[in-house]
Amino acid sequence: MSAGAGTADPRRPRLNTMAGIVWRTQRRTILVWVAALAAGMIGTAAAVAGLYDTPAEIHTYAEAVTSGSALAAINGAVEGIDSLGGVIQDEFGFLASFLLPLLGITLIAGSTRREEESGRLETILGGRIARHQPALAALTVATAAILATAVLFAAGLVLEGVPVSGAILYSAALGALAFVFAGFAALLAQLVLHARGVYTWSLIGLAAAYVLRGIGDTTGTGLVWLSPLGWAEKTAPFGDQRWWVLALPAVAGLVMGGAAVWLAARRDLGSALLRGGAGPAGATRVRRGPIGFAAWIHGPATAGWLSGGILLTAMMGALARPFLDAMAGNPALGRAMGVAAGRPLDGFVAATQLYLAVIAAGYVIQAIGALRTEEADGRLATRLAGTLSRNRWLAAHGAVIAAGLLLIVVGSSLVLALTTAWSVGNTDETGAIMAAGLAYLPAELVLAGLALALFGRWPRAFALTWAAYAAATFIALLGPGLDLARWVLDLAPTTHVGSPPVGTAQAGSLTALSLVAAVLIMAGFTAFHRRDTS
Amino acid sequence: MSRSVPVIHVRDLRKTFGKVRALDGLDLSVRPGEVHGFLGPNGSGKSTTIRILLGLIRATAGRVELFGADPWREAAGLHGRLAYVAGDVALWPGLTGGQCLDVLGATHGGVDRRRRDDLIARFDLDPAKRIRDYSKGNRQKVALVAALAAEAELLILDEPTSGLDPLMEQAFQQCVRERREDGVTVLLSSHILGEVEALADRVSIIRRGRAVTTGSLAELRRHTRTSVHAVTIAEPEGLAGAPGVADCVCERADGRVDARFTIDAEHLDAAIGRLHAARIHTLTVTPPSLDALFLHAYGETLDARETGETLAEATR
Repeated sequence: MSAGAGTADPRRPRLNTMAGIVWRTQRRTILVWVAALAAGMIGTAAAVAGLYDTPAEIHTYAEAVTSGSALAAINGAVEGIDSLGGVIQDEFGFLASFLLPLLGITLIAGSTRREEESGRLETILGGRIARHQPALAALTVATAAILATAVLFAAGLVLEGVPVSGAILYSAALGALAFVFAGFAALLAQLVLHARGVYTWSLIGLAAAYVLRGIGDTTGTGLVWLSPLGWAEKTAPFGDQRWWVLALPAVAGLVMGGAAVWLAARRDLGSALLRGGAGPAGATRVRRGPIGFAAWIHGPATAGWLSGGILLTAMMGALARPFLDAMAGNPALGRAMGVAAGRPLDGFVAATQLYLAVIAAGYVIQAIGALRTEEADGRLATRLAGTLSRNRWLAAHGAVIAAGLLLIVVGSSLVLALTTAWSVGNTDETGAIMAAGLAYLPAELVLAGLALALFGRWPRAFALTWAAYAAATFIALLGPGLDLARWVLDLAPTTHVGSPPVGTAQAGSLTALSLVAAVLIMAGFTAFHRRDTS
Repeated sequence: MSRSVPVIHVRDLRKTFGKVRALDGLDLSVRPGEVHGFLGPNGSGKSTTIRILLGLIRATAGRVELFGADPWREAAGLHGRLAYVAGDVALWPGLTGGQCLDVLGATHGGVDRRRRDDLIARFDLDPAKRIRDYSKGNRQKVALVAALAAEAELLILDEPTSGLDPLMEQAFQQCVRERREDGVTVLLSSHILGEVEALADRVSIIRRGRAVTTGSLAELRRHTRTSVHAVTIAEPEGLAGAPGVADCVCERADGRVDARFTIDAEHLDAAIGRLHAARIHTLTVTPPSLDALFLHAYGETLDARETGETLAEATR
């Protein structure tokens, strides 16, 4: 038989081939992630460097931040904060805690269990690819992407004037953080049946890591060392520079990744340790209706985002008392957080509600994205082939998603109100907390409207909604601290809410946001009614 | 490899998924250079067998050899010598057909570029179109072109023509015949009897995880009956009682005799003699189809409750 390829031994299984396939099929996702993360991190570093350009300013910032345990809970306890690198690490603390693990999780989930679930892996493994190679190749490509992100970030930091060794150690620590979660996701991908399960369990692990690190940092206990987020922090790139700590995430990632590869070689394709059992043989009356069916589709995601909201608000509410104590001892902290003197608790609630708004907006976009998935996977056509009209289908989903949004906002706000009352010992803040939560609804609906309009008009461009969400989140969380230009801040819908309860929510702005949302939603409905479905 | 060693050799193969027994003592042997039809209804264990043959899942018990080696332990090495088309073809929606062919080609032992281009033309495939814009049939064609263009000694095709129109099915059959002439062995899993009948040298029929019967079409047909429909001028004498004849119905119509019956292959000559004596006007002799074969093979293990189900499957 004549060999078509000219290589020495075309039949030997080669890792390069599989890595090439992963790169070829995932490269758009990888490039977007690496570019967006590197740009976001370097942009933040540049803004911080521009804002804190004298030692005195850096010192004031450091003074303010170190005196409040609530900030340590959110951003982490930064060693050597009295330096440009330290300020950058603190400013970026919250977002980095989620974005870098998500980088690892997304790259792995997309190239392992999702491929297996779709059946594409079966075709690949029918070729000269060994069973363990897809997992190994996914880890290799993800590691390369993480490395590229870290190198770009380190270069950006050095250009902004951060000392070279600190810049390298900080970037390496963040890269190692992403690597741990890549290993974790790779292991989960061998154990659970669906890519969605990989995301769910990875995010639960991430939330646990965040809480452990938060409790550890506020109580000053060794709990920090149990969390991969704590390892990144304990490298202390701008303090004592403990390079050896990098070994912890490296070993943890290698062990989990190695276990994933080991399992992949030994288990049946399509098998899973954790899998659902049999279900009922018929659908209940409720699930047969469009609303009940939509509720079933969005239920798990709603529960997931609600848990995230409750976790955040419960943690913040419980920290209200320590925060107030810190404020009483240090007025500079209030200024650093942009909290008006005399109303520290309002400022604290306003900050928390902004984070909650980010969570709620993330939920609506994901839920509307699920409609696109229904369509792309061909299930929408099946739904619409009966007597159900397009408008009723979309309206049923819209109603369920809106109800989910309300549940997340009101439920999480209620948890914040209860825990705050428990922490400070009175219920004076309850009304303000609930009102602030509801005031963000129009802003959240603007993003929902954008998602729906894209779904209705250009469904294939739905990913743009996530880009808009990422930009809006970046501006909302970091914009004010980085003194971004007014017009940039105004791009984020949440800016127009007015930061209640520390600021006042203007009825005019809220009405305007509601109108924009209504127009976008109507445009989405109209376009969807007219367009071809696939 | 010597011609006598089977390409695929399976003995007493068992596979259980939890409590479900997917394969229950399957035997299967595929000789070099033959097209082997692997027939059975949905859920009978065809795809499970193929996945074990490819080393994608592990046998619970029994012996499996692919090219004389253990497919679980040497999966990737053995796959350099074969090409596989999965029953459910799943490809990357964002890649074009041509890109998918390249990605799949990279996993094969080698690709014949000229044959690939020829196949693209014969299957009327647009390689610049994205997979998400293809119809189901066109996605199937991409997988088929990738497998048929591979430099392989063995083709494993799991229900390869689901979604193809009759014209493309013809093109597919022609391509498989050409590959066989090149000396390629083919394992063709299907529940479409016509396809197997048109291509297969030998057939294994599987049901509930066991091979019910195996043999060449001629061998299998020996156990079944040929249908005869004749119109004669006079009444054929003694037809109903003749040896080997059954289900005999003779009717008078338009002054002629319309006779239908079934007969064992070995008694065909004598029966035709009787028809000839009655002066044949028209004569149709239909050899047993695989449908009949299928039902015959099943009939032995069939209980009354299942008859309807099997009939429905067999007549698909």
